[in-house]
Amino acid sequence: MTDDVPLSPADDSGAPPLFSDVSRRNVLRGAAGGAFALGAAGVLSACGGGLKGTSSPGAGSSAGNGRKKITIGFITPLTGPVASFAVSDQFVIDTIRKTQKFSGGITSGAKTYDVEIVVKDSQSDPNRATQVARELISQNNVDMILVTSTPEVTNPVATVCEAQAVPCVSTIVPWEAWYFGRGAKPGSEFQYTTMFFFGIGEFGECFIPMWNRISNDKTVALMYPNDVDGNAFRKAFPPLMQKAGYKTVDGGAYTDGTTDYSAMIATFKSAGADIYSNAPIPPDFNTFWKQAFQQGYRPKLATVAKVLLFPSDVEALGPLAENVATDAWWTPHHPFSSSLDGTTSKGIADAFQKATGKQWLQSIGTSYALFEVAHNAFSSVDDPHDRKAVAAALRGMKYTGICGQLDFTAGPVPGVAIIKPVGVQWKKGKDFPYSLEVVDNSANKAVPLTADLKPTRA
Amino acid sequence: MNWVNAVVQGLLLGGLFALFACGLSLLFGVVGVINLAHGDFAVLGAYVAVLLLPSTATNALWALLFVPPLFGFFGYLLQRTLLQRSLEISPLTTLLVTFGLSVVVQNGLLEAFSADSHSFNVGSLVTSSFKVDEQLQVSYLRLGVLLVAIAVLSVLSLFLARSRTGIQIRAVADDREAAQMSGVNTRHIVGVAAAIAFATVALAGLAYGMTAQFAPYSGSALLLFAFEAVVIGGIGSLWGTLGGGLILGLAQSIGFQIDPSLGVLAGHLVFLGVLAFRPTGLVPARAAA
Repeated sequence: MTDDVPLSPADDSGAPPLFSDVSRRNVLRGAAGGAFALGAAGVLSACGGGLKGTSSPGAGSSAGNGRKKITIGFITPLTGPVASFAVSDQFVIDTIRKTQKFSGGITSGAKTYDVEIVVKDSQSDPNRATQVARELISQNNVDMILVTSTPEVTNPVATVCEAQAVPCVSTIVPWEAWYFGRGAKPGSEFQYTTMFFFGIGEFGECFIPMWNRISNDKTVALMYPNDVDGNAFRKAFPPLMQKAGYKTVDGGAYTDGTTDYSAMIATFKSAGADIYSNAPIPPDFNTFWKQAFQQGYRPKLATVAKVLLFPSDVEALGPLAENVATDAWWTPHHPFSSSLDGTTSKGIADAFQKATGKQWLQSIGTSYALFEVAHNAFSSVDDPHDRKAVAAALRGMKYTGICGQLDFTAGPVPGVAIIKPVGVQWKKGKDFPYSLEVVDNSANKAVPLTADLKPTRA
Repeated sequence: MNWVNAVVQGLLLGGLFALFACGLSLLFGVVGVINLAHGDFAVLGAYVAVLLLPSTATNALWALLFVPPLFGFFGYLLQRTLLQRSLEISPLTTLLVTFGLSVVVQNGLLEAFSADSHSFNVGSLVTSSFKVDEQLQVSYLRLGVLLVAIAVLSVLSLFLARSRTGIQIRAVADDREAAQMSGVNTRHIVGVAAAIAFATVALAGLAYGMTAQFAPYSGSALLLFAFEAVVIGGIGSLWGTLGGGLILGLAQSIGFQIDPSLGVLAGHLVFLGVLAFRPTGLVPARAAA
């Protein structure tokens, strides 16, 4: 070891030999750990492949007809804490594979290519997401990676793609978390990574009009945890509220997984706080909301973010979830249809409910749109394996599909397309215990209202 | 007045922690198994109730009647088969086995029930409370959990101290070979201890499912709190476990009152403090032994 020290570049900078020795050891240890982790991941993903049927039905035949192949990687949290986002993804992939535009191959330049979709489970875990992104790039030679659901999963994947020059589209991540969360400075631009979703500004456009429709004391209780999303909300949302004439009461930057919210509830109670805004992880909201009822804090209107997006969380909360308002980026009521085969939003939601017996959820729309975007990008370039050209096509894309118009050139920062969400409330349903009804379309007039806005506290 | 609120709510929270820690404490103190799957078994107990209750509208209090006994039976079987065998190899094997069980339970639940989260319906109990004054309202549900925790731990302590089986359990815990030579069927007795531990785990899982929301992966966080309560209280002492749970609840609640970002951290700090300055815990187990 000592012989190596003078060769170390660190030596030139005047660092003591011990330092460079230690850092080298750490590097080696890290590399060994990484190799082990990759090996284990290989075994795991092999199992996953067998269970989930990740290989495309067309993959075997592609060698037979001599056509070349486009490979798309899709990373989604099929398991793990945020798996509720991905409940519909297997259905979406099956549906996409059956559309003529995918099963018949994508025409790019003068040639038609078979399409293979490789699905990887991010297990809701940033490290696992990084691993599968690398696997997709090095083993499957993917031409594009699509990734969905929460910054914890989308950001590491986007970072790998940007570094390895692989075109990537992310969704269900606030653009602030996607852009600033990866160290971008205002004015800078990512070359290979793009996304569509919305940000804090759109939460404001969606929630504040609802508050204005309910008579209240103009005080907003803030329950923002000390995590990526919570801190982004704390930084960006209160200024919008104050501009709209609302006072804010911050419940404090609590830790995710807190089991007792008595102190926060006491703060909200003593401030009045008719309006309640949050961005917690779903189990924490369940705990908080029950304790709020027990301890007598009942806001007139609760507009929640990040929770009660999906039916399972609502059923877990039961009647207490009734008339809690949140945002929706896609519903069967959206008057938009697939750019792949013209199926309406309602058609896709109905097909999902028929195929699975489960209630529709809004991530169907965003996952579906990922594949629309991929199809458009590949069919607009001369060579689908030309990553620079595909990335440029993504950054310049403007099309109308299942999520309405997505314009990647007109977002707040380059490469970001914005969906305008609508305000929704959970109401007692007919086919399922609770149904998500559109109650405010201030931010997106194209979507029809399906129910009246009611105060959360009757 | 806010401080009174913080203390009262902290004690109520501590009841849940104590209930959680009971099974862990018993299994470690008597059987010698550090059960890394403890939290996952609690969640499994809650899912068993989800499976067996006729509908989600059924009041989940009924599950208290049949899930703990079922789990006791399951615990006895698990001890006599898997855990006993692994214990005979080495304590490290047991640790690995319970870690494996944790992974199996999590993924098994995910396959069987999907990632959907659940919470029990307990009717109006979930929101009802009595008002001491404007600042302080006490939830019947949380008060109930605290009382159940105290009752379970008291009954168990008495059982271990007085009953014949309890004395045999303590004898096995102290010196397995000597107990065997005195004619105690040690495997059966250890199985009984495991059965009791698992029944309380199920009870804790049900209590958790009533006060919060659970999903297949919820167990790991629960294990941490249970573990901390056991260590603070003193490993192997049931009264200590009750105290440990209450102290952990108080620490979190008071920490939260000082600053919301301190809540969970304050609990961890008390845990670290106990480890550093009083590693035997507040009530050292079997001080006489």
